[in-house]
Amino acid sequence: MTVTDIGYVAFVLALVLSLYGIVVSVLGARRGLPELIASGRNAVYVVGGLVLIAALTLWYALLNNQFQVEFVATHSERNLPALYKFAALWGGQAGSLTFWTLLLCGFAVAATWFFRNEQPSLRPYVNATLLGAIAFFVTVVLFAANPFEKLWRATNGQIISAVIPPAGATPFVPADGQGLNPQLQNYWMIVHPVMLYLGFVGLTVPFAFAVAALITGQLGNTWVKLIRKWTLIPWLFLGIGIIMGSQWAYVELGWGGYWAWDPVENASLLPWLTATAFIHSIMIQERRGMLKVWNMVLIWLTWELTLFGTFLTRSGVIESVHSFALSPIGPMFAVFIIATLLAYLALLVWRLPLLQSDNQLDAVLSRETAFLSQNVIFVVIMLATLLGTMFRPISEWVTGNKISLNEPYFEQVNGPIFLVLLLIMGAAPLLAWHRSGPETLRRNFALPIAATLLAAALLYLFGMRNPAGIVGIAALVFVFAGIVQEYVRGVQARRHATGEPLLQALVNLVRRNGRRYGGYIVHVGVLMIALGIIGNEFFQSESQGNLQPGQTIQVANTVLTYRGLEASRGPNYIEYTARLDVQRGGRSVGQVLPKKHVYDKNPEQPMTEVGLMPGLIEDVYVVLAGFEGSGSTASFKVYINPLMSWLWIGEVFLVLGVLIATWPRRAPALVAASARLPTSAQPA
Amino acid sequence: MYKTVDVHTIGRCLLVIGLALIFALGAIAPAHAQTPTPNQINAVARELWCPLCNGVRLDNCDLQACVQMREVIAEKLMAGESKEQIKAYFVQQYGDVVLGAPSSTGFNLVAWLLPVLIFLVAVGWLAFLVRTWTRRRAPIAVTSAAAGPSPAPPDAYLKRVDEELKQYE
Repeated sequence: MTVTDIGYVAFVLALVLSLYGIVVSVLGARRGLPELIASGRNAVYVVGGLVLIAALTLWYALLNNQFQVEFVATHSERNLPALYKFAALWGGQAGSLTFWTLLLCGFAVAATWFFRNEQPSLRPYVNATLLGAIAFFVTVVLFAANPFEKLWRATNGQIISAVIPPAGATPFVPADGQGLNPQLQNYWMIVHPVMLYLGFVGLTVPFAFAVAALITGQLGNTWVKLIRKWTLIPWLFLGIGIIMGSQWAYVELGWGGYWAWDPVENASLLPWLTATAFIHSIMIQERRGMLKVWNMVLIWLTWELTLFGTFLTRSGVIESVHSFALSPIGPMFAVFIIATLLAYLALLVWRLPLLQSDNQLDAVLSRETAFLSQNVIFVVIMLATLLGTMFRPISEWVTGNKISLNEPYFEQVNGPIFLVLLLIMGAAPLLAWHRSGPETLRRNFALPIAATLLAAALLYLFGMRNPAGIVGIAALVFVFAGIVQEYVRGVQARRHATGEPLLQALVNLVRRNGRRYGGYIVHVGVLMIALGIIGNEFFQSESQGNLQPGQTIQVANTVLTYRGLEASRGPNYIEYTARLDVQRGGRSVGQVLPKKHVYDKNPEQPMTEVGLMPGLIEDVYVVLAGFEGSGSTASFKVYINPLMSWLWIGEVFLVLGVLIATWPRRAPALVAASARLPTSAQPA
Repeated sequence: MYKTVDVHTIGRCLLVIGLALIFALGAIAPAHAQTPTPNQINAVARELWCPLCNGVRLDNCDLQACVQMREVIAEKLMAGESKEQIKAYFVQQYGDVVLGAPSSTGFNLVAWLLPVLIFLVAVGWLAFLVRTWTRRRAPIAVTSAAAGPSPAPPDAYLKRVDEELKQYE
């Protein structure tokens, strides 16, 4: 008996109770029985508690080296640092699905508690939908990827893994585990999957509200207002998760880049794209009562894409069409995705007559049209990325030949569409709601366009000859100038109205209308991220060389001198650290320390730890590619990555902007007084 | 896109012709006769992809197979082959999988044309939607309760912000 047996029982109970909760919630709502609805609500809390207990037993087993548990034996080892033992839960299929279920329960419990006194008619269906999603993941964990299985020696001597051993089997406890995949032993890997999962599972809450709105026929703008923050926060987590994944790739994979458009990365990007479209288009519904069907479709797509991404990356279907049936996970996800797609489609068609738009467009040149275009472009990027991700198995299936779709494909296809998106992002805030007359257009666009042309001219004058680089940076200037103009005019108007000093006017402007100005800060974050991408994409320089101590290698204006190699012992690896002096323009600016880790459990797979000297202008990025003897000769790859730091600074601005946009406020928002979270969420 | 003739043979022929030229011209040293530098090898390798891993560029792959592929690149550079010739050789050896993007022939054209089609259909749909919505517009449609703040004169941005600010003064 190990502690994980308790976890297994808890999961079985969680499955039973979540099914019970679905039934009583729906019954209670249909028959109008508040006791049943309350029982369904309590089921959410209890299921959440049970899944937490189960996860705790796995953490206990991991931290206490209970190697009889198969998941622990295959994903941990005695010498693994405690933090990585803790993070090993999401270092493998079965554990990560359990962790996913735990976070999903966390969101379900939080939403259930938050709305406990509100929306009595929507609530039971929200609970039932949340429990439905939980029940699915609990089922997958119990029947397809069970982390509670233990190792046994069967009577014929074979080692098997099972929760309940066959007759005559004796417990098998390995002396040590096989260790955690070395690629995952990095600090970004502790936090990045957590962020990503929080984004994925959090989007279930707005989806559940959409389902409840469709079932009850309460299709006004209430559900949209209720879930604004419940969408923005998971959207932020998803965005942070994606960027942190890039940071991991940047420091751990050692190819000078951060995003390879591989299926796992694309799987996280797909729902982010539709979610981004959704958080913009619900503004139109709030203000104008338009795009009701479209919003229902976007949140549907977003949620299905979170599942689809999981399906893609865990079923093995992307590696080869033939691996689909090897694990029951693929078929289970496929059935669930198709079933929920069809069920939602039926609901949507049934309710179409109630989803009529309250308004029409007033003019082609309006904020509404810009939002609509932005939405369509996001969906186009999503479809193009989905096609690129799926085309490899499709082509293999049709032609029998293996092909690959990597960076060059996605950059050629998505690059121009992203540029269009950037221009819309710049233009939208400059267009007025309803319609923009010629005078407004001239007044709002003059400055940003002038700034754009000036920037392009300056870049050319200072010697930049890369057309894509010039166009990209000029587009960033266009968007940025528009945002600055919005801030300046807002502050001016406020000072004019109140006579406040400059700084106070700025602070109050942002505080009183966090949704608009927080949104602009998010846009500034996106611009910074785009700047980093453009820098790395178009202006990276690199060089590789074999050096003996004292020899130098030059890349762009940076000269590196190899000083020597040292070996030291880490907790579960040997660390080889090379030391290089960095000189820029003849001046010494410091040292970089590229490393190789050779893990005890995976000596054949040495891991790269990049030597990095980050800077606002450029990063010096050094990879120790190999060495001979004790470092008498070492091979280095050196990259100069311009503007990369802005990617990570932009991430901070995303967080800041979303915090401002979601911060509870006393004063009514400027954009629309009706846009607040209603009732008790906001004290009057 | 890539010739189907045996580039390997062409490479050998070129080598022979090259050597013959060197002998004929005597003192002129061939440009690629020295061992290529890692940078020269990477210049070719960064346009090729590991045939075994998914999405790893050849200049960054540590697999033994890829180390050997880079050695082949070095040999071919020494033999005076161009980047395009070397790429064509690997395509012939391993198939399109060594290219980062599908070729624009046969079924692979779908991968290139479909995104363009999606974009055009989306833009067309958008144009249709905007046109019908603006045409059908009733002149007083914006007075609906959900319309938010009442519409301001279109040209008075500052005036509008002023008005909005006054709402909570």
